[in-house]
Amino acid sequence: MTTSQTGGQTKISPPQTPVYKQRSPLYFAWARFTANKGAMVAGAILLLLILMSIIAPLITKTDAISQDFLTERLAFPSADHWFGVDDLGRDFFSRIVFGSRVSLSIGFIAAGFSVLIGIPLGALAGYFGGRIDWFVMRVIELFSVIPPLLAALMLASLSGGGYLAIVFIAALFGWVQVCLLVRAQVKVFREKDFVRAAKALGATPWYIIRRHLIPNSISPIIIGFVLAIPLAMMLEASLSFLGIGVPPPTPSWGQMISTGLSFMFFYWHMALFPTAALAVTVLVTTLFGDGLRDALDPTLKGR
Amino acid sequence: MIMYILRRLVSIMVTFLIVSVIIFLMMHAIPGGPFDAQDMPLSEAVRAKLMARLGLDQPLHIQYFKYMWGVLHLDFGVPYQSPGETVLQLLSRAWPPSLILGGLGMLIGVPTGILLGMAAALKRNTWIDYLASAVATLGLTIPVFVISMMLILVFAVWLGWLPASGWGEPKKWILPIIAYAAIPMATYARYTRSAMLDSLNKPFVTVLRAKGLSERRIIFQHVLRNSSIPMVTVFLPMFIGTATGSIFVEAMFRVPGLGAYFVTSIETRDYPLEMALILMITMAFSLAYLISDILYAWLNPRIRVGGTQE
Repeated sequence: MTTSQTGGQTKISPPQTPVYKQRSPLYFAWARFTANKGAMVAGAILLLLILMSIIAPLITKTDAISQDFLTERLAFPSADHWFGVDDLGRDFFSRIVFGSRVSLSIGFIAAGFSVLIGIPLGALAGYFGGRIDWFVMRVIELFSVIPPLLAALMLASLSGGGYLAIVFIAALFGWVQVCLLVRAQVKVFREKDFVRAAKALGATPWYIIRRHLIPNSISPIIIGFVLAIPLAMMLEASLSFLGIGVPPPTPSWGQMISTGLSFMFFYWHMALFPTAALAVTVLVTTLFGDGLRDALDPTLKGR
Repeated sequence: MIMYILRRLVSIMVTFLIVSVIIFLMMHAIPGGPFDAQDMPLSEAVRAKLMARLGLDQPLHIQYFKYMWGVLHLDFGVPYQSPGETVLQLLSRAWPPSLILGGLGMLIGVPTGILLGMAAALKRNTWIDYLASAVATLGLTIPVFVISMMLILVFAVWLGWLPASGWGEPKKWILPIIAYAAIPMATYARYTRSAMLDSLNKPFVTVLRAKGLSERRIIFQHVLRNSSIPMVTVFLPMFIGTATGSIFVEAMFRVPGLGAYFVTSIETRDYPLEMALILMITMAFSLAYLISDILYAWLNPRIRVGGTQE
């Protein structure tokens, strides 16, 4: 209620009924997310990194693969070469910038595949329960006891490494979490009245899963997707570090760190920049994912 | 409960068998063998004889059953890369460095993590809370070889206080131990903080305060005990993960531990060693999870339902 003074007379405006805006859950999630400063900053940096990897050829004019500066091998950072030159005469800044392409694209693509494997398995296990659930859970148990890195090492040497192999391996170990999240959500929602109503009206399980259960699992799916990204990036870096990841000369941070290890005592730039790049990228992705998870599902906070 | 344990043991055995078959097939599917021409210039006859002596000329399923029969008798075969000893002897030689460093890392990381987590929960939204969250996030997200690299760069290259790598005198152990401690510390800081915050908000704490118990006794006798369950159950799997050595920490600090054998056994197609490593670790993890589950039920009477538990 507002009062306004006009010519000594007090006029009271009629009470207004407050307008209730229809707000979607996503609006509240967005509000919670923007309130989380750390996640906002991380998200902004991640966005910058993604942009950087997309417009990489515009940022750096020198090639990341051809050995243009052989006479300046191992030169320290300077105005010409911001991050120095590496042991094979390549501009190190270009290599770091182009390395973000490998890291980010593998992270996102592998997370996408994890979701593609995780959703159907999680939905089937959660909806049907019984034997299917038992089977899926045993498979997940299998994945929890096999040391992931060892299995990844074997798979990588089995496939001879390479970009696609890494994506495949990362997805193979990334789907478990998505599957568990979707399964838990579906288990809760299949008991809800609207699902029973749909069933009573003769909806097939396939229809219920597709129309009702998966749309209602969108939060856990997004959470699973975002949390799978840093894991895939770490796996790529680890395998490349061990020399069976993305094959050279494609720039990959894990590979550069492993090379930097032999040069770090005299040429610190060889070790520092890829390490920092990988650390920052994995860190902001995780912080962004954590913030998104807290915003989408406050009950999971802090777990 | 006994039925539950028995059922779990059977399920572990089945998992173990499935893993062994998958790993065995994968291992032999990797192109190349242990005595390939580019690694070892042997004449055809010698190679054939070697293969025959190691049983590599037989069909796969026979090789598998022979090997698993040996495993049942705790005979893991002879590693191709060092034929003078058995796999078990090689492992008992290579394991101590990993065990010492990983164990010390746990010994330092777990208490610091618990203290950090407690401090964070008690002084919520102060600098110590933010510090604990930062440690937890950094330790859990940044790959361990990046942490190792930063430690080396700062303490060995720039400050020159500590040697970067090697094995022997305890001074060389400091940096790898810190690297090993990072993950337990981060995990425990995070678990302790959230578990403590959970119990601090429970009504029983209000009751204890109302009856005038000192804050210190509330924290140490009641809250800590009530929030200790996740800390106990996460310990064993983590210990196995840490004490079997990390390929990365050992590669970074040039520690002659178990880690290197993970990579070399796969690279050189050292089948017996590869199988032994993976089978032992799988078994150790399965048992660790089982013991953790039993401990969990034992510590938390609320979920103990006798033998009818799933």
